[in-house]
Amino acid sequence: MKRAAKMLLLAGIILSLFVGPVFAGGSSESSSSDGKIVIEVWSEDRHDMEYVESKVAEYNATNTDNIQINLTIISDNFRNMLQMAYSGGTAPDVAGINAIPINMLADTGIAMPLNDFIAESPEYQKVNDPYNQIYEGTNAKNGNIYWIPTGMRSGVRVIYNKDLLEQCGYTEIPKTLEGYIDMAKDITEQGNSRFYGIGFTNASPFERLLEMVAEMSGIYYYDYVNGRFDFSGYKPVIELGRRFFTENIAYPDQQGVDNMRALFSVGMFALWSNASQEAAVFTEQIPVQGFEWGVAELPTLTGEVTGALETTPSKGWGIISSTDHPEEAWKVIEFFQSEDFLKGYLEAGYCLPSTDYMASVIDSSKTGRLADFALKPYETVYPKPPAVNLSGDDYRTVFWNAVMGYVDIDTAINDLNTRYNEALDADVASGSATRLVIKDYDPLHPDQGTPEYLTE
Amino acid sequence: MNNKAPRMVKKEDKKDRIAAILMLSPVVFLLLICSIYPFIWMFRYVCYDYNGFNATFTGTRNFTRMIADTTFWTSVGHTFEYALYKLVFIIPLALICAVLLNQKIKGTSVFRAVYFMPTVISSSISGMIFTFIFATQNGILNGMLMALGMDAPIPWLTSPDYVMSAVTVLAVWGGFGNYMLYFITGMNVISEDVYEAAKIDGANGVQTFFKITLPMLSPILKVVLMLAITGAFKDYEAIMVLTQGGPGNRSMVMFLYIYNMIFGSGLTNMTQPQIGYGALLSVVAAIIVGIVTIAYQRIARKLDDVM
Repeated sequence: MKRAAKMLLLAGIILSLFVGPVFAGGSSESSSSDGKIVIEVWSEDRHDMEYVESKVAEYNATNTDNIQINLTIISDNFRNMLQMAYSGGTAPDVAGINAIPINMLADTGIAMPLNDFIAESPEYQKVNDPYNQIYEGTNAKNGNIYWIPTGMRSGVRVIYNKDLLEQCGYTEIPKTLEGYIDMAKDITEQGNSRFYGIGFTNASPFERLLEMVAEMSGIYYYDYVNGRFDFSGYKPVIELGRRFFTENIAYPDQQGVDNMRALFSVGMFALWSNASQEAAVFTEQIPVQGFEWGVAELPTLTGEVTGALETTPSKGWGIISSTDHPEEAWKVIEFFQSEDFLKGYLEAGYCLPSTDYMASVIDSSKTGRLADFALKPYETVYPKPPAVNLSGDDYRTVFWNAVMGYVDIDTAINDLNTRYNEALDADVASGSATRLVIKDYDPLHPDQGTPEYLTE
Repeated sequence: MNNKAPRMVKKEDKKDRIAAILMLSPVVFLLLICSIYPFIWMFRYVCYDYNGFNATFTGTRNFTRMIADTTFWTSVGHTFEYALYKLVFIIPLALICAVLLNQKIKGTSVFRAVYFMPTVISSSISGMIFTFIFATQNGILNGMLMALGMDAPIPWLTSPDYVMSAVTVLAVWGGFGNYMLYFITGMNVISEDVYEAAKIDGANGVQTFFKITLPMLSPILKVVLMLAITGAFKDYEAIMVLTQGGPGNRSMVMFLYIYNMIFGSGLTNMTQPQIGYGALLSVVAAIIVGIVTIAYQRIARKLDDVM
């Protein structure tokens, strides 16, 4: 009997050791020990952490609303972490949700519409100009606003080694894609393996040059007028893009983004292309060594800009619907989107201002090389085409395979048209997506049409 | 007396059974919550479109998609190819190193530690290290080959012709130290008397290896082979860092494709997570690995009968 009791005790201890941690964790506290209301805030941005943390500390010490912000940075798997936390009842009160697709915020009710809060906050309206920053399918759906951007990332630009270009007899970037490729070829030939005309990364390379050249040439992958995917317009761009590899123009390796940036920064190739984040990269993270670098507009097929270049609204805050303190959560958003907070943020060069008001308030001489990436009149936010459940590779992967010559261009276009439209039709039929149609779509002003969401 | 004895035995049996149940219960509990429950959780989504937030019932659509998904089936083919290359090199290499390092020579423990080291390095870190080694223009490997007289650098990671070689080298480097230790442990169990008897009979080193070491290692060899097969079919982390499945999907293995489906393609950020479809592909992948393992076990059993 004694032996059995001992065994029972032992087994109980072992079991409790295993079971204990499973059920441990506890509920999230919404009040701090000094009686303040704690607002949990999640952000996925690590690059601006130093500035945001210092402002949060200042706010926690000085605010008169009895609020304490508890900031958590989750830079990996943010979307899944938020979803799991929401399902498990441990979601934050406020989160940086600009990178989460709208269907995951609106259709699920995870994020709370901000319309009423915005309407009652004149200061927020003055600084953030919310009613001119509604991008259907990106931060708003069916009249509900879920977040307002506080900044913009520019569209893609050509970033070039001025010294290398001059050495090879060039002073400016050609307006046409063909001219651009010819110049890159000439530089590679003059470099004779010491330096090259252009470099590409292996991380989404199609998006960093050719896709944006196509956009500015009026080519897009979604036919808004008919509500279908249509990839046929990309053929001439891909045919020209192939020259980078068939004529051995490009640097002979495609490594990770930072590796390629490092190679550019030591003058291994003359042409690189990316958006406004490169301003901070080439001045702080991987400083350019020993040469002048310039920023120029992308070339197009004909030399004329006939389509809008895509920009990305960034740093938008939303309220998670499970919060017990929506009023306090809104006050925290007002703080993050206040003039004081944003002035320092934008002057530190973390992103471009998204409103005329903030552009007029900041001292642009403090933003460093970010000023070179100032938004162009033809840059805008595209209405988001439907997110579909696609089998196989996405178009950026397939098109880069076509550029590299792994797949025939016509085969790639037919394959994409078939797979994307089959997925769209099936998703619309099952109700997991809606078909976006903009009858009055204008490729130079894609954000100014009237969107309709069809269920068939 | 006669009646009492069986009753005592029965009582003891009952006690033992209770003890066994109590001792096993934590493990069974863990198995249920860490293995069985996640599998059931995943399995329920095979008929859904599920992006982590919204689940929409789609009936058999995921099944028809899977059948027509050429990228998936190509990745299955690449997985078999990768597993074959890996096994062909890793087992003989581990065995040879084990035999060499099982000699009573000074310094063998240092080599054992060195060869085992890659096993404890994170596969994503080793993938990162090998991107520098295999870089075309400024890579260490091409630098050495050019110094030896090669004309042009080899595009290890950007050519579909060479990428599988690069991936295999990384896999062998990262795994053979582990299998080598299994073999060394197995060899230590073989009695010295057997080797001495062979010596007296005049057997040379090669004969001793093939007639004594290898047959007596066969139980370990079977376990190592099974681990190597299942491991090779499940590898994807290092490939993800080294090549992301490219170029042109040439190194796309099935679990990397499934990862991309479930978490969304991290590279282009263009696809949404497809947990339902990914769950179905995971089940199919598990069945494929299961079939291969069963086939191997049957072959191994038949080989036992022959031997």
